[in-house]
Amino acid sequence: MHRLFAYASVVDQREISRAMNDIEGKITTNDEVAPGYYLLKVKLSRPMDPFVPGQFVMIRVPDRDVFLRRPFSIYDYHRPVLSLLYKVVGKGTEILSKTGKNEKVSVLCPLGKGFYLQKRQEYVILSGGIGIAGVHALIRRLGTRSSVFFGCAAKKELALIKEIDTLPVSVSTLDGSYGFHGTVVDLLSEHLTTLREKDIEIFACGPAAMLKALRRILEKDKTPCQVLLEERMACGLGLCFGCVTKTVDEAEPYKRVCKEGPVFDLWEVCL
Amino acid sequence: MGSLSIKLFGKTLRNPVMNASGTLGYGREIEPLWGVETLGAYVTKGLSLNPHHGNPTPRVWEEQRGLINSIGLQNVGVDRFFDQYFPLFQEKKTPIIVNFFGFTEEEYIACAEKIRPHRLIIALEMNLSCPNVKQGGISFGKDPDLVHDIVMAVKRVTKIPVIAKLTPEVKNLKEIAQGAYEAGVDGFTLLNTIPAMVVDVEKRTIPIRGGLSGPALKPVALKAVYEISTSFPVPVIGAGGIMDHTDALSFLLAGAKALQVGTATFIDPYTIPKIVKGLEEYLKRCRCPSIGAIVGAARG
Ligand SMILES: Cc1cc2nc3c(=O)[nH]c(=O)nc-3n(C[C@H](O)[C@H](O)[C@H](O)COP(=O)(O)OP(=O)(O)OC[C@H]3O[C@@H](n4cnc5c(N)ncnc54)[C@H](O)[C@@H]3O)c2cc1C
Ligand SMILES: Cc1cc2nc3c(=O)[nH]c(=O)nc-3n(C[C@H](O)[C@H](O)[C@H](O)COP(=O)(O)O)c2cc1C
Ligand code: FES
Repeated sequence: MHRLFAYASVVDQREISRAMNDIEGKITTNDEVAPGYYLLKVKLSRPMDPFVPGQFVMIRVPDRDVFLRRPFSIYDYHRPVLSLLYKVVGKGTEILSKTGKNEKVSVLCPLGKGFYLQKRQEYVILSGGIGIAGVHALIRRLGTRSSVFFGCAAKKELALIKEIDTLPVSVSTLDGSYGFHGTVVDLLSEHLTTLREKDIEIFACGPAAMLKALRRILEKDKTPCQVLLEERMACGLGLCFGCVTKTVDEAEPYKRVCKEGPVFDLWEVCL
Repeated sequence: MGSLSIKLFGKTLRNPVMNASGTLGYGREIEPLWGVETLGAYVTKGLSLNPHHGNPTPRVWEEQRGLINSIGLQNVGVDRFFDQYFPLFQEKKTPIIVNFFGFTEEEYIACAEKIRPHRLIIALEMNLSCPNVKQGGISFGKDPDLVHDIVMAVKRVTKIPVIAKLTPEVKNLKEIAQGAYEAGVDGFTLLNTIPAMVVDVEKRTIPIRGGLSGPALKPVALKAVYEISTSFPVPVIGAGGIMDHTDALSFLLAGAKALQVGTATFIDPYTIPKIVKGLEEYLKRCRCPSIGAIVGAARG
């Protein structure tokens, strides 16, 4: 199989996972880019090893009342600055959003198995809400070779795609305040027939409901599709077997999202 | 400098620090960060006669100063462990302790029988608790007579030393330990996780029931180590909320001959090598000839 990432031809997945490190970093930016969404930039004390879009990090802010690390996708990386885009949803992200510039963090990275690129005529990238964080690096890498679909609740969340506004992005909003009125899967299904005239592969990241709806519209043709899954994690390293997702493998149905994922073939998982 | 090496069941270990079962995968997962030869011994993920799928998610839940897990003992089975994962330990000459469980007495026996003596296998650790598995398991560790019978049955089929890993969810821990001791057990690991659950106030549901581990468990485990190590003349391995070398020392001083580190590795994957280093420095600082010399020293 042909791989498109230049380095991927010399670094296979096994070696990539060998390259993980626990790296100290300092926060340089932690700004609210849209209501409840933050862009965090961390200057790493050592360079992170090559990563594949879809891989993630486990981050910890020391001396805070948070027990476990938190997983976040690698949004962007320009040596030595790692960027994460996160949404405040609970205690850990709340504390992170209040952590200031120059504070130290510890970042375990890069982790998991990212998107796997086979040669296709066209790539379709689909994300909902904060799911954009999981595919942003992929969009950046693929540039104009992909069609990007982004769905969010309302116009005010458009700030999430500001960094890719040089690319054509098809947008849907649930409240109809911008672009297509409806879900991003509804939007995609309107374009699917045309897109399918080419040999395509879909990459998706978003809430479980979005991935389920996506599966329904692709079910008949079993269009090639990879999904980035989220699951509660303790270690992020494959040590605890806490983060599993159910797959069609009958002998060993539960696979670790942090190790065998977070990117899975849509047709191998039971959503 | 003092020596960290200890003798356990007649074998020499380079140090008293082990991982706790189920918290270091099959061993190879940690290799990108540090080598398994750093460990005094590697404790396997809980193995069973046949592969076991485990529980649906959520399997892990953060608590204040602790973790609740309901992994449900997912494992590849004892055969595949030895085919697929044991070679790493052979290559690195790292001793292992085989943690195992069963849902019936027969399964415990059949599993133990399958494990042939090997110079790197220093003991079999019987998981007598499994608080997160609905059938079986749980009852063995709660009743001194059942513990006695199952330890006896396992001892009968193996020449490898047998460790009983006890659950804290009992009325009288000493009575349970007595049952195992009378059946000829060679040592104890204390403690396994404490049964626990979470209530989601918004949704009015119970999202997880499982075992509590981490710092919240530490004082309970220390007391258990103290009590059992003063009562029985067999080695006790301490586990429960060990986060750094100071915690490790408190277990040794309370009477543990060796230690297991679990949850801490999830937060800082370098905890184990850091503890080893911390203990080395402690020996140097105290001009102590060997780590064995401090075992039980706090008991007076
Ligand atoms: C591989 C992966 C990549 C992710 N990438 C991003 C990203 O780029 N941006 C972003 O905003 N979020 C991302 N998430 C989700 C993010 O990890 C959670 O939103 C975050 O952990 C919530 O922490 P909290 O303390 O605020 O929430 P709480 O609900 O207080 O957290 C309690 C516990 O549940 C876990 N948890 C809660 N929600 C989730 C969730 N959706 N997924 C996994 N664990 C959860 C927490 O990690 C923590 O252990 C990703 C998750 C995974 C697994
Ligand atoms: C994710 C996880 C999986 C575990 N799996 C097992 C197991 O398979 N067998 C077992 O005897 N104990 C198991 N345990 C218990 C630990 O080995 C240990 O006794 C307990 O977690 C206390 O130590 P800690 O506080 O350092 O984690 C598990 C604990 C955790 C957190
Ligand atoms: S989070 Fe521990 S195995 Fe995935």
